[in-house]
Amino acid sequence: MQANKQTVVSMLVKLSGILVALCALMISVSSVALAEDKVCFESREGASKVTQKDIGEELKNVECSDTTGAVLWWGDPYDGTQPMGDMPIEADYAHGEAVVKARTGQLNLYPVCGVACHNGAFPPPVEADTPPRKLTMHMDLVPDSLNLQHGNGGIWCLDCHDAKTRNKFVDNAGNLIDFNQPQKLCGKCHGQVYRGWRDGIHGKRIGEWAATGKKRWFVCTECHNPHDVQQGERKSGFAQLTPEPAPRLPKGMENADHERHGGGH
Amino acid sequence: MKKLMSFVVDYWVYVLKGGPKFYAWLGFLCIFVVTWTYGNFMQLSDGMIVTGLTDQVSWGLYLANFVFLVGVAAGAVTVVFPAYVYKHEALHEVAVLGEMLAISAVIMCMLFVLNHMGRPDRLWHMIPLIGIYNWPGSMLTWDVIALCGYLVLNIIGGFYYLYKKYTQEPLAKGFYLPVIYIAIVWALSIHTVTAFLINTMPARPMWHHGMMPIRFISTAFAAGPALIIIVFTIVRNNTKLWIKDEAIDLLSQIVVWCLGIALFLTFSEVVTEFYHPTEHSLGLQYLIFGHHGLNALVPWFWFSIIAMIGSFILLLIPSIRKDFGKLPYICAVLFLGIWVEKGMGLLIPGSIPTPIGEFTQYSPTLIEIFNCLGNWAIGFIVLTLLLKGAIGVLLGEVKYASE
Amino acid sequence: MVIGRKCAHETGTEASTLAHEQFRIRGKSLWQGDFEVTDRKLPIESEDEKVKPDSMSRRSFVKKVGDVSTTSLLGTAALMTNTDEAQANTEWAEWFQGNYRLMSQEEKDEACARLERRYSAEYDKKVTVDSTPAQEGVLFGYALNIQKCIGCRRCAKACVEENNQSRGDQEIEWIRVLKMEKGDFSASKMSDGYPDSYGIQVGGNAYSASGVVLEGEHYYEPEKVPEEDSFYMPIACMQCEKPPCVKVCPVRTTYRDPDGVVVVDYNWCIGCRMCIGACPYWARRFNWGEPKLPKESMNPKTHYLGNRPRMKGVVEKCTFCVQRTRNGRYPACVEVCPVGARKFGNLLDPDSEVRRVLATKKVFRLKAELNTYPKFFYYMD
Repeated sequence: MQANKQTVVSMLVKLSGILVALCALMISVSSVALAEDKVCFESREGASKVTQKDIGEELKNVECSDTTGAVLWWGDPYDGTQPMGDMPIEADYAHGEAVVKARTGQLNLYPVCGVACHNGAFPPPVEADTPPRKLTMHMDLVPDSLNLQHGNGGIWCLDCHDAKTRNKFVDNAGNLIDFNQPQKLCGKCHGQVYRGWRDGIHGKRIGEWAATGKKRWFVCTECHNPHDVQQGERKSGFAQLTPEPAPRLPKGMENADHERHGGGH
Repeated sequence: MKKLMSFVVDYWVYVLKGGPKFYAWLGFLCIFVVTWTYGNFMQLSDGMIVTGLTDQVSWGLYLANFVFLVGVAAGAVTVVFPAYVYKHEALHEVAVLGEMLAISAVIMCMLFVLNHMGRPDRLWHMIPLIGIYNWPGSMLTWDVIALCGYLVLNIIGGFYYLYKKYTQEPLAKGFYLPVIYIAIVWALSIHTVTAFLINTMPARPMWHHGMMPIRFISTAFAAGPALIIIVFTIVRNNTKLWIKDEAIDLLSQIVVWCLGIALFLTFSEVVTEFYHPTEHSLGLQYLIFGHHGLNALVPWFWFSIIAMIGSFILLLIPSIRKDFGKLPYICAVLFLGIWVEKGMGLLIPGSIPTPIGEFTQYSPTLIEIFNCLGNWAIGFIVLTLLLKGAIGVLLGEVKYASE
Repeated sequence: MVIGRKCAHETGTEASTLAHEQFRIRGKSLWQGDFEVTDRKLPIESEDEKVKPDSMSRRSFVKKVGDVSTTSLLGTAALMTNTDEAQANTEWAEWFQGNYRLMSQEEKDEACARLERRYSAEYDKKVTVDSTPAQEGVLFGYALNIQKCIGCRRCAKACVEENNQSRGDQEIEWIRVLKMEKGDFSASKMSDGYPDSYGIQVGGNAYSASGVVLEGEHYYEPEKVPEEDSFYMPIACMQCEKPPCVKVCPVRTTYRDPDGVVVVDYNWCIGCRMCIGACPYWARRFNWGEPKLPKESMNPKTHYLGNRPRMKGVVEKCTFCVQRTRNGRYPACVEVCPVGARKFGNLLDPDSEVRRVLATKKVFRLKAELNTYPKFFYYMD
């Protein structure tokens, strides 16, 4: 009897020890999960993620919106950027330092682009009148590749993506364009917009305001989704966003009903 | 110097002795001073968040009372002007009472301005030389000069007259009359400058027209004498000083004519703004008809219009106007009507909608009301005490007894 | 990036010269918040102290009282500069400071240093208060593309991230975005008009939004923007070349700085709100109560005329982010705009983005007929 009791007690002690250890493990795992970094998006939701982190004394790299998850403020506008590289034509834009953020870091499929299929070896070029076929593995990126929402039926995948080197774009002369320089691709059709972007009127720059200052230029695909620029009925080129909340109503006003459906008098 | 000291002492000794009605009146006013103390403490410690003011409607009850009381202060000229320029004998006897009213009204104005300021502790920033005084650029600086000057003129004019009466010496006309004449012109200017304060801002289309100064003067010269008539009636019924009928009669005529001009100006404003309403008439539309459910000011407007038109019609009738039993009550309703017209009818809707088109509503908080009532109470306490002393001097009860 | 002008200031606390008696002042200043006064033991070093109390003559007593009063005042002043409560010691001197624009550089540095001490204590972080003056050859200008603006309000919120406005129920936002509904012209509205014997004289389409609405909406909150039937117009301080607010200020606390930015010296403002009345763009805000700014949200890099935390009873408004722009960086609203609708730069530099906009686009200014000459332009593609 005595020995049995002792075994039971020792078993219980071992069991509770294991339980405690398990709890501690769960708590530490969950606290690691809770201490997860804040992730927000810089321009396009889902395609321009940035993780909030400390970069100095009381300085964060970005401040995020609590309501929409958008970046509201950059502590360091050049964090994570690289030099833009060359412009293919003599540009008359101001000659300050230009940096961009690499797009390849935001593209999940990029590392396997061009090597996942056909073991990197492509079949010989197809006949010109071969109809394009749907690629089922890209449906998450392109809503409907047979009805590409870009160009109203005038262009298809291989107008932008190089047929042989799928992790590069291609220009009209067959030269390869890096994914981090989409402006060279988009500019082959959207010339006026490209010129405006080069002059600083189209698109977005952050950093120094001086014409000769250092700026981070936002490249085309940071704001525009190339696979769905028509946006259905909207045909706008820019997806709708969730807005930030309205300002607080002033004292004495319970609601803003009086201003709805404003009209003539 | 000895005479001056005894004047001060005798004056205040006389003022502080009174009958039960007098003390009851002062006691009643002191209740409002108690709540005023609380209200000001709250406002000075927590800031103006205790009021109902917002960024959208940032000029509220305090400034409304200020603008109205500047008019009442200017209205004292309706006593002084006939007395000295037209040598109206009945008013000449009691002109100094008008100056006492002006002093207390200006003190009330200053109290309201202090309540309106976000940082009254920084008032020294306005003092020239040690601070910065943006004159002649800022209209507010003109207004400060006008108000302070008017206060000084009335104190000098009023108390010089009383002092000479007290010592039974003749007035030095060479000194006294210029003070009076300057005060008459200055009275017109204080209310004109206050009107300029408001009407020189293109951002506020409801105020931005040349009619504002004349409208201010006409309503001031209706409200000011109305109050003076009430005060004179109370003086007649409660003191030994008998103010002649001609004085009150002339004042009531001034009320009627100036009220008529004011109503005519209001009428012309309504026609101009509503013949073809523009976005600039939105403030007036909001005031008179409300806007998409926001109606807070509409009853106030209609009350003031009915009070003003009703009083005007009644006062036109000589039998009513000369009935000194009814006259003070009509004047009281008129006074209230003009107060509402200046405050709710002009100051508040000037900010509604905001210059970029936002409609909001404003309602004062209890603390704001405490402070306003308290300022009025302090003004009336000052008025009561000053009048009592002045009446004592006029009656000869406060006299320099040379040893 | 250019580093702004640093203020000369002492670091750490000075050693108390009156070491033994810690004279702590505690009380409630009505306008300056809490400070501490407790134990009133004065270190008196006058000669009379050495005289025995019984042998004190009336004269020496009076003298002693006089000495005590003077010393207590001086001691107060000395000790107030030496207490741990940074708030108490800086606010006394702060209350006496003059108008910023008239200060010498030393006085400006001193004022900034005082503020740095006060803010660092209040917000538990190292706060810097910059005093960089306007740069030569720079006139700031702004252009906003209303063709592109989608009404997302990120500019308004980014401005708040950067500029330390009051939060919570006393929230202040310097940028206000208006939604301009377009409405439609339609045949069905034709019969809504005001008829008279000569037919419909006020067309029915005048009674509701047609083409564009007359007044914008301020409190729109749709699921997604831009909404189909609307365009958007953000409004903030226009930094007028002829500012009506500057003209009406009785104490010249708001003034136009040489680089074109209209600024406010928050320590000089008397809170009369004439400027709020005079601004045709409703660009100015008032701190009705003591601002509520949580420590975590406080941006510690501030400028005296820009985003340093304000106090109750003073006016504030957009300053084109002087703390950033005078050190070379874009304002926060320009950087955050997701559609690149906002352009900013030096109007005197023909290569700047804003000058390019003025040269190539159709621009207009709000309420131009009021002759305020705003430097904030609106344009469309």
